[in-house]
Amino acid sequence: MNAASMMSTGIMTLTPDKTVGDVVKLFFEQRIRQVPVVNEENVVLGVITSRILLRTILPGYIREGFLKDVRFAPELRQFVENMDALKDKPLSGFINKYKPASPDYAFVGPETSAMEIAALFVNTEIFVDRILVVDNKKRLLGIISPIDIFRNLWKQSEKDSPEKD
Amino acid sequence: MEKEITIAVSVFFIVYAFIVWDKIDKAVVAVLGASSLMALGVLTQKQAILGIDFNTLGLLVGMMIIVGVCQKTGMFHYLAIKSAKFAKGEPWPILLYLAVLTAVFSAFLDAVTAVLLIAPITLLITDELQITPYPFLYSQILASNIGGTATLVGDPPNVMIGSSQGFTFTDFVINVAPVTVIILAATIAVFKIIYGKKLTASEEVKRRIMQFREADTITDPRLLKKCLAVLLLVIAGFIFHNSLGLDIATIALTGAGITMLISKETVHHSMERVQWTTIFFFMGLFVIVHGLVETGAISALAAKVVAFTEGKVSTTAYAVLWLSGIASAFVDNIPFVATMIPLIDNMEPHMGGQIASLPVWWALSLGACLGGNGTLIGASPNVIVAGFASKSGSPIGFLKFMLFAFPLMLMSILIAHIYLYLRFL
Repeated sequence: MNAASMMSTGIMTLTPDKTVGDVVKLFFEQRIRQVPVVNEENVVLGVITSRILLRTILPGYIREGFLKDVRFAPELRQFVENMDALKDKPLSGFINKYKPASPDYAFVGPETSAMEIAALFVNTEIFVDRILVVDNKKRLLGIISPIDIFRNLWKQSEKDSPEKD
Repeated sequence: MEKEITIAVSVFFIVYAFIVWDKIDKAVVAVLGASSLMALGVLTQKQAILGIDFNTLGLLVGMMIIVGVCQKTGMFHYLAIKSAKFAKGEPWPILLYLAVLTAVFSAFLDAVTAVLLIAPITLLITDELQITPYPFLYSQILASNIGGTATLVGDPPNVMIGSSQGFTFTDFVINVAPVTVIILAATIAVFKIIYGKKLTASEEVKRRIMQFREADTITDPRLLKKCLAVLLLVIAGFIFHNSLGLDIATIALTGAGITMLISKETVHHSMERVQWTTIFFFMGLFVIVHGLVETGAISALAAKVVAFTEGKVSTTAYAVLWLSGIASAFVDNIPFVATMIPLIDNMEPHMGGQIASLPVWWALSLGACLGGNGTLIGASPNVIVAGFASKSGSPIGFLKFMLFAFPLMLMSILIAHIYLYLRFL
């Protein structure tokens, strides 16, 4: 079982000239949590996730982990105001801007095995929601979520079990 | 012997150049420099190890573990917020209290940790107050270095000087601390003149400061009690180390041992809190400077300096004060002090022995520690705050900081000069 056989295709993407407002609309309307940003050739430039947007509206000292726990502080006014200011900003400004210690997404090739992808999902060093499947020119082919691995393994075991009987 | 001197001096200058160049980690540079002295036959490993001051290393390692575990309890954040609320949200008193808090932490615990914990809270507070964070950050950088000057355990140069000369904690409290209080007051007075009226906040935002819940910063009350007990014991141990007949490294490492015993985190984790790069940097430097001592390079230099100063204690003290102040603004004060210690040691006989030479040692301590305030790269707290501020989106410009801080540093050295004159010379 490889990435190509498990991935979902026909993914919503946006070009870097679109705004944060457009992304948020997609988040709400399509009930998705991340949108790959691609150029005209479908080459992946980055991914916008809701977590990346959260990171940009938090003050730098919290985002960078200098102040991890702020349970003692009242709400910052900037936290709310920053969201308003984001709406019309183009996506190009958010791609790979704040590189966190754990990236929000990972890339694999279409031939990558299911076990390798599963290992990427559970690895504690990085925290990824979705894995993008790209070709050798980094053009987007599809996307894989943990449930896709399950679905495929499950189907496989259902196919296998009657033979055992 | 000629050949060995040449090698030792060359290695020293190459290492120094790499430290100033700042592209390769200075710990790696120092370790490679030290091992090359052994590889080239200038020092044997036995001699090299004799050059390492384990009292300095033990104090650093011990304090890093103690403070690392204690900061987990939230006590430093608690005090920072408590002082902001004590100031009733007024910006100027907040600046004053946080600067004093930073100075006290730096004097007794560790300057780097002090700024690392207080600076983020400061940004949160200035964000709530909707005012510029810069005067606050500047005052904390300056206060951390001034505070560190005050005690034997504050800034590393002091422990290096203290342990090489057998000075006690009390020696520093009596001879160095008084002038640091004056310098801190004078520095804060300058801030008051420049920023006192400019820093204002509306009643509404001041009320937001009062909404901070400092009790929520305490994440582990049981550990907090234990840590406070250890900290008090360790500080008491520092104060009375001479009467106890114990060196300060013994006290710090005992405290670290107790801390690891009582905290619930794994020992592995506690030990990770030690900044091993700093420790290796010190080890390498001690060996490199020992190479200069063993080969006779230092005594040759000392003879030249003595010829220049004619063995006068006052001339030497003033020269050491200003030279170390200005040098420490641009280069790391640790290699500088490591080199000056054997140099002054060698000059002592020409200045009338150790007792007569005491003012020179205080001058070295004051110059090297206070000099760190001159530029953004002058001392570790400066570098830490600058890195932190730029990552947080409020970068501190090198020149902008220097234009403000360098004159203040010169002022502090001038105050130290007057102090040395009135008190000792």
